[in-house]
Amino acid sequence: MGIAVVGGGVAGITAALDLADAGYKVHLIEKNAELGGKMAELAECRTGLSPYVVKVKNHPNIELMLSSELESLSGSAGNFKLKVSSGKEVEVESVVLAPGYDIPEVAKSYGFGSPDVVSSLDFEGILRAATASETGELLRPSDGKRVKRIGFIQCVGSRCQENEICSTACCAYTAKEAWVVKERFPDTEVYIFYMDIRVFGKDEELVAELKDKYGVKYIRSRVPEVIPEEGALTVKYENLEKGTIEQLDLDMVVLAMGLLPSKTLSKLAEITGVKTDKYGYIETSITNPLETSVPGIFASGTATGPMKVRESVAQASGAALKAAGLSQRTEPIPGQAEYKFIEVGEEPKIGIFICGCDGEVSKAMDIPAVAEQVKELKEVVFVNSETNTMKEAVEALESGIVDQGLNRIVFAGCSPREYEDMVRDACARAGLNPYLLEFVNLREQCAWVNEPKEATEAAVDMLRMAVERAKYLEEIPVERYPVIPKALVIGGGVSGMNAALGIADAGYEVYLVEKEPELGGGLRAIPELQSGEQAADVLNEFVEKVTSNERIKVYTNAKEEDIRGRAGSFKARITGEGVDEEIEFGACIIATGAREFVPEGYYGYGKEKNVVTVSEFGRMLTGKVDANTIVLIQDVPGEGVDAKYSGIEVVDGALRAKEKNPDANVFVLYQDIKTYGKWEVLYKEAREKGVIFLRYDKDKPPKYEAGIVSVYDVIFNDEIQIKPDLVVLSTPTMPAEENERLSRMLMIPLKNGFFMEEQERPKMVLTPVDTVNEGVFICGSAVYPAMIDECLAMSSAAASRACVLLAKDFLETPAVTSVVDELICSGCGVCVDMCPVEAIELTEEPVPVVTFGVATVVGGTKKVAKVGDGCIGCGSCASYCPSGAMSLRYFKDRQVYAQLDFAV
Amino acid sequence: MPIKTWELDPNFRNEIMNEPGGEHLAACFQCSTCTLGCPITEIVPSYNPRKIIQMSLLGMREEVLSNPDLWICLICQTCTARCPQDVVVSDVLSAIRRIAEKEEEAGKLKIESPRPLFDKAFLHQLEKYGRLYDIGLAKEYYPKKEGSFIKGMRAMMKDYKDFGMRMFKKGKMGPKAMFPEKIKRTGEVKKIFEKIGD
Amino acid sequence: MNGKKLAYYPGCPSAGTAVDQDMSTKAVFEKLGIELAEVEDWNCCGAAEAENPMLVYALNARNLAIAEKEGLDIVTPCSICYYNLERSNIALKDDESLRAKMRDIDGSLDYKGGIKARHVLDVFVNEIGMEELKSKIEKKVSIKAAPYYGCYLGRPPVTAFDDPDDPILMDQLIELIGGECVDFSYMKTKCCGGPLMMTRADIAFEMARKVLEAAKRAGADCIVLACPLCGMMLDAKQPDIEKALNIEIGMPVIYITQLLGLALGIDSKKLGLDKAAVDTKEIVGKVV
Repeated sequence: MGIAVVGGGVAGITAALDLADAGYKVHLIEKNAELGGKMAELAECRTGLSPYVVKVKNHPNIELMLSSELESLSGSAGNFKLKVSSGKEVEVESVVLAPGYDIPEVAKSYGFGSPDVVSSLDFEGILRAATASETGELLRPSDGKRVKRIGFIQCVGSRCQENEICSTACCAYTAKEAWVVKERFPDTEVYIFYMDIRVFGKDEELVAELKDKYGVKYIRSRVPEVIPEEGALTVKYENLEKGTIEQLDLDMVVLAMGLLPSKTLSKLAEITGVKTDKYGYIETSITNPLETSVPGIFASGTATGPMKVRESVAQASGAALKAAGLSQRTEPIPGQAEYKFIEVGEEPKIGIFICGCDGEVSKAMDIPAVAEQVKELKEVVFVNSETNTMKEAVEALESGIVDQGLNRIVFAGCSPREYEDMVRDACARAGLNPYLLEFVNLREQCAWVNEPKEATEAAVDMLRMAVERAKYLEEIPVERYPVIPKALVIGGGVSGMNAALGIADAGYEVYLVEKEPELGGGLRAIPELQSGEQAADVLNEFVEKVTSNERIKVYTNAKEEDIRGRAGSFKARITGEGVDEEIEFGACIIATGAREFVPEGYYGYGKEKNVVTVSEFGRMLTGKVDANTIVLIQDVPGEGVDAKYSGIEVVDGALRAKEKNPDANVFVLYQDIKTYGKWEVLYKEAREKGVIFLRYDKDKPPKYEAGIVSVYDVIFNDEIQIKPDLVVLSTPTMPAEENERLSRMLMIPLKNGFFMEEQERPKMVLTPVDTVNEGVFICGSAVYPAMIDECLAMSSAAASRACVLLAKDFLETPAVTSVVDELICSGCGVCVDMCPVEAIELTEEPVPVVTFGVATVVGGTKKVAKVGDGCIGCGSCASYCPSGAMSLRYFKDRQVYAQLDFAV
Repeated sequence: MPIKTWELDPNFRNEIMNEPGGEHLAACFQCSTCTLGCPITEIVPSYNPRKIIQMSLLGMREEVLSNPDLWICLICQTCTARCPQDVVVSDVLSAIRRIAEKEEEAGKLKIESPRPLFDKAFLHQLEKYGRLYDIGLAKEYYPKKEGSFIKGMRAMMKDYKDFGMRMFKKGKMGPKAMFPEKIKRTGEVKKIFEKIGD
Repeated sequence: MNGKKLAYYPGCPSAGTAVDQDMSTKAVFEKLGIELAEVEDWNCCGAAEAENPMLVYALNARNLAIAEKEGLDIVTPCSICYYNLERSNIALKDDESLRAKMRDIDGSLDYKGGIKARHVLDVFVNEIGMEELKSKIEKKVSIKAAPYYGCYLGRPPVTAFDDPDDPILMDQLIELIGGECVDFSYMKTKCCGGPLMMTRADIAFEMARKVLEAAKRAGADCIVLACPLCGMMLDAKQPDIEKALNIEIGMPVIYITQLLGLALGIDSKKLGLDKAAVDTKEIVGKVV
C-alpha cells in the first residue's frame, strides 16, 4: 500500500517527494493537467519550483495522476480505498490533503473594469514581461504608456465580511513586488495602501528598506474604490496627519488579493469526511496543526488556512511524516543501488543527447540542424536529438551508452538544476562513471535569450565547447559510507519533543538533549494557550510520550559538544550532570527555542510594581486581576525580534482581561496589529468586547510619567492620556543563548541570532527546515519565534526531512572535491586559510624526488596539504593555490581551458 | 489639548449599541473605507464618519452629539455596503442622531441642523394621514426651521415658488395635491407612533 | 410571483411629483399582461425620514400584511419604498419575537413572512425576463442613455438585487430596446442628494450637479432612472439647480418604466412623458 496525496501544488509536491524519497509509494492526484498549482503561476517562483516538478514526474515511487479528481474515499486509517475520476482505484494507508487556495472576486469599484487595475498574481506576469521586453520599461496594459506611479492596495478580499480572516501572505508579497518595481524601474513612484503591516523577520527589514531607502510610500487607508478617469486611475486616501482626504492619480493599480479555501475543498471535505472550520478551511487545532478530524487523513498548506509558501512547505513535510507513520515502506530508495562502472580509456567516444524540453528548446531553434553540425565533430560518435521529455531522454541515454559503447557524454536540455541527479543516475545504471558527463543548458542560456536563428548557431557553439571539455573528463571514484540511523535533537521544548517523537515513531533512535533540568522549554512559562487549552496539559502529554518512548534517550541538564562529521554520519559528545558520552548519529535537529527580553528600566519595569510583561500578565490572569484601567503597550523596544506570537499574545491578553472584568477599561497601544490568519477574529472579538486600540508611531512611543500614560494616536491625530492601574509591556524575543555556539560549530549562519537566513539560502522558501549543513535541520522558535502550531508543523517537517536521510542505508561521499598534487605542493598553507569549512590541514610528508619520471623517496620531510572528509568542493583552495598543486575534481584546469580555448 | 480618557464616557459606546441599528459599532477597525467612499465627504471635507465612530468608541459623548456633521449623512448606504466589518455605518449614525434628539428633548443639547425638525414634520404627516402630505409637511417644517410662521412662509416661497409653478404646469401638483390623501384606517398607523414614537 | 398578478405599492410621490412614474408603471404592466392590484389602504413606508428601524418595520408590517392576505408579492417603482418594504420583510420573516412585537402594537401588523417585495426593475429583468420582453417589443428607441441607479438597488447588501458598484440590469433593458449606454460606470450609484434637499439644499444641489454633468460629459441624450426621489432631484429640480449654481444643463430625465413603455409601443402621453420638467420631446422623437 502507500499514501495518497491530493493536490499537486507546492505543498502536495513537497509531501509527495518527502514520502517517495523515504521509500513510500505515493499516489499523487492533481486536478489540473500540470503540476505546480498557484505557485507555478508566479513568474519568480516558477523556476524555483520546476526542479521539484521534474523530480516528481520522474520519481519511480510516485504514481502521478494528472487531470484527476478524488471521487470517493472509503475505509479507515491504515486501509483507505480511493476512487479517482479517471476510474482508477488505489488502496492506501493514509492520505495527505493539499488542495491549495483560490482568490476571491473583486468588487467592481476597483477600477470598473479598467485593464490597468490588476491582481497581484497577474502583476507577476506583467513584471516578468516588462523586464524581458525590448524597452525594459514597465508599461500599463491599456495604452502602453510608461507607468510613472503605481499603487498597491492591500487586503482586497480579506479582513472583510466575505472573508473575515487575514490572508497572511499579502503584506509580504506586496512588499516583494514593490521592491522588484523599485529595483528594475527605479523612476516609478510606488504607493502602498495598507491597514496593518503584518510582516516578520526578513520581510520586516524589507518593508523598512522600502520606506527608508527606496522612498516607497506606505499609506494607512483601506482604499475602497479606484476611479478610471481621463487616462488616470484616481484613488482617495486619508491623510491622517493633516486630517484631510487626498486624491492621487496613478497609472496602474495592483490589488493584493486575499486567499480563500480552494473551490474544490468543500467537495473534498464531503468526500473524505474531514471537518471544515467556519471559514471553509480544513479544521485543525493549534496543538495538532496537521491532523484532520478523520484519523489517517492529514492536511497541509493553504487547505488549513492562509499562509505563505514557506509555512505551506513546512506543513507539507510535517504532514508527510504523520502520513508515513501509518504506512509501510515498500519501495526502494532512489540512489541506493551500487553500480559497477566500465573502465574507460583516454580515447574519447562522445555521445551527444539533445532533449527538446517539452518544446521549450525545440521550438526556439532548429534542433535537427544543430544535431547535423555537431555530428561532424571528430570525437563525437553518436548524436540523439529525438527526445522531448526527461523520461525519453534518460532512456535514450541509457541505451545509447550500452549500445554505442560511449565513454563521454554531453547532455543538452533545460537547466541541469532540474535533472542533474537523474541523468547521472542513468549513466551509472548504464555502467558509466557519472562524472564523465557534461551538461549544456539550452533553455535558460540559449532558447530564452536568443532569436531562433541566433539560437541555432549559439546552440552549436555551446555544444562544441562542451565537447571540448568532455574530451578531458576523468572518472571520479564514487565512495559510499553507511548512514547511522539515529538522530540528535537539540532542545527539549515542544518543538524538540515533537521532532524527537516524529523520528522515534518512524523507527529510529533519538538523543534528546535539554540544557535545563526539565523538558518543556518556553511553553512552561505560559499558563493557557489561545485556544483555551492548559499549556501544562499539552506539555505533560508531550513529556509523558517522550519519556516513555524507548527509542528516545533524554539528557537533561546537558549539552552537546564537538559535533563533527557529515550528513548520515555525525559524532558528538554529550556532557552534563553525570554524563560524558560520545554519540553517533545520522541527522541533527536544532530546536533551541527563544526567550523573552526582560524590559528592565522600560516604563519603570523592575521598579514600579504595576508594570509587568505580557507573560507575567498572562499568569496574573489565571487569578484575580485588581485593576480597572489596563494599558498594554506593544512593541516596547529592547533586544531581539518581533515574535510572530507577540501581537496575538497582546490582543489575547486584552481580550481575557475584558472577559474577566467587562467594566475594566482596557487599552492596547500598538504600531501594527499583527493578528495574522485566523487570529484576526481575536482582534475583532477584542474590539467588540470593548478593548480600545490606539495606534502610535515608532518615532513617538508612548510615555508613562506621574501615573499617566500619554500616547500620540496617529489615527486620532491627537495625544490621548490614560491613568492606568496596570501597565503591560510586550517586548521583543531573544534567541537562545546556545545559538551562537551551535552556529559556529555547525557553520550555519544566524540572522539576529536566529537560524533564519534567507540571503545565504535563496531556496529556503522551498526547504524551510534544511540548512547549508546537510543533515542538520532547524525548527521552531530557533528559526524565528513562532506560534505553537507553526512550531509543531515545523518540527514535524524537520523530523520528516531527517527521516528521508535516515531511511537511506548509504550515502555517497562528495565526488567533486579538491585533490592535491603532493609533488608540487610547497606546503605554504594558503589553502588552509582559505578553506571555509576547515577541511584542509598541513601534514609532514617524506620529500619525494623525481628521477626520469619516477618518484623515489630520499629522506627528509616537507609540509604538504591534505584534504579531509569535510571538503565541500567549493574550489577556494584551487583558485588561491600559488603553485597550482591544488585542483578541483571535475573542474581541472585542462578541462576548463579546453572549453575556454574553443570559446575564444 | 490632550484627550484625558478618565474624563470621557466609556459607556457611550454601549448607549449607541443599545439603539436599534447601532449594534455593530464596536466592530470598527478604523480602516477609512466609509469616509473614502462617502459622497458627502467629497463636498464637505470635514465630514468623516470614521472619526465619528472613533470618537464614539473612545467615549467622547459630548463632542460626538454636538457635531453638526452628524446631520448631513444621506443614508445612501455606500459605507454600509462596503464596510469590511459590517458596522452598518448608516444605521450607527442614525442611532447616534436619535440619541442626540433625545438629549435635545431633555434640554441638554441644542441641535443646529433643521434635519430633526424636518424628519419630525414628515413623520407627523404619516401619523395624521398615513401618507405623506407635502403641503402639510412644508407648513409644519418651515415655520419651525425659521423660528416664526411668517419667516417660514417667506422661506418656503423662496424655495418653492418656481418649483411649485413648474410642477403645477406639468400637472404634478394639481388640486388633488392641495389636500392630504388620507388612508382609511389611520388609527392603525397612529398606534404605531404611539407605541414606538418617532 | 403568483401567476400574472402582483400587489402594487405606488408610494407617496405617485400622487404628485412622480405621477408620471406611476402612470408609466401601470401602463407597462397592463401591456405586459400582468395585473397590478393596488395594496388596499397602503401607508407610507417611512421613506428616509423614519430613522428608527423599529418604526420602519412596523409601518411596513402593515403594508406587507395587507398584501399577504391577498397572497401577492408587492411590486413598487420607488427605490426607497422597495428598500423599506423588503428590509422589513427580511427582518420579520425569520424573527418570531420581532413579529410578536409587531402584533403587540396592533393586530393590523400581523405579518407572517409569506411574501416578498420587489422593485419593478427586478421584476422586469429577473421575473418576466429578457426573452419575454424582447418578444413584446414593438419599437426601437435609439437613444444614448446614462443609466442611473441611485442608492437602493445595489445596496445595502441585505436588499440589493444588482451589483453595488457597477449595476447592469437597467443597462440590459436599455440595450434590449435598441438604446446605447454611455460610459457612466462609477456615477451609476452615486447618490443624487435627494435626502438633503430640504435641510441642506446646497449639498443636495452639488451632488445632483455631479450626476447631471457627468451624464452630459459622457454624451448622453438622457438619464434613465428608477426612483421618484432621484427623478424629483434630477428632473423637477434641474432648473432650480441651474439657477442656483449658475450653470446650464438641459439634461432630459426619464423613468425606466417610461422608456420600456415607449418600446412596447405605448403612447408617450399615457406614459406621462409630457410631465417632465426638462423637455423629453427629443427622446420621444427617437422612437422608431
